[in-house]
Amino acid sequence: MTPSPDPLDDLVKRWGENAPPLPASVRPEVWRRVARAEAAPLKAGWLARLEADFARPAFAGAFIAACTLLGLFLAEVRLSRLHAQRDAQLARSYLTLVDPLFADAAARPRPNSPHS
Amino acid sequence: MTRLLLVILAGAICGGLAHLGWFAAHRPARADDLDAELGWIQESLQLSPDQFARIKALHEQSRPRMLELASELAQMRREFAQFKHAQEAEDIDFVEFARFVEKRRAVDRECLESTRQLVLAASGVMDDEQRERYRTLLAPALHVSDKARLD
Repeated sequence: MTPSPDPLDDLVKRWGENAPPLPASVRPEVWRRVARAEAAPLKAGWLARLEADFARPAFAGAFIAACTLLGLFLAEVRLSRLHAQRDAQLARSYLTLVDPLFADAAARPRPNSPHS
Repeated sequence: MTRLLLVILAGAICGGLAHLGWFAAHRPARADDLDAELGWIQESLQLSPDQFARIKALHEQSRPRMLELASELAQMRREFAQFKHAQEAEDIDFVEFARFVEKRRAVDRECLESTRQLVLAASGVMDDEQRERYRTLLAPALHVSDKARLD
């Protein structure tokens, strides 16, 4: 069953055909306003979403745990470097202990010995 | 907003405390004495307590002589500097210098021999794998001839 035609349809159609032309500045202005309207809520939404996330105890707890783990990781990196330096120093120190000539060569200002 | 900042601050404090605490707890002790050096050898070579005790005894036994030789070498280094100075001033006593060179050669030989004996004795306490690693650790100090004699 098809609905009966609305008498307004013809009027609207006729009005659309005879509509006056829009000024040239209307279209860019419309898009500019649309862009502005979309940008503003996005900016506000980003901060609001972050605040909402941090307001959740689970998220806040996870963030603090992640910071703690990062601190431990950085400490381990520092320790690893420190251990490597200490091992190198102990190696030199041990070589000096077992070989006095090694210590002498290290302390000598010039590499050549008097009898060489 | 305040809650956000508080959580970030709490994260920073926890991270900082964890970093400092872990670093302080695991920081290696600053020790450059014989025990620290031998501890490093024990750790590097995975020595058993018995091996460690024997190697420690060997090093303690040889240490006074090694220190004496090191002191002698330091003294000779100073004498050599004086000879260099005299040579620049064209006032060098060649007979004295020849004696010095001879003495230096004798000290060098004694150093090599002392090192060789200590390394050989320490190597004797180790198994093959430890001995190989020990030689690798000593590579910068061991002379080629000594390495050959150890093989």
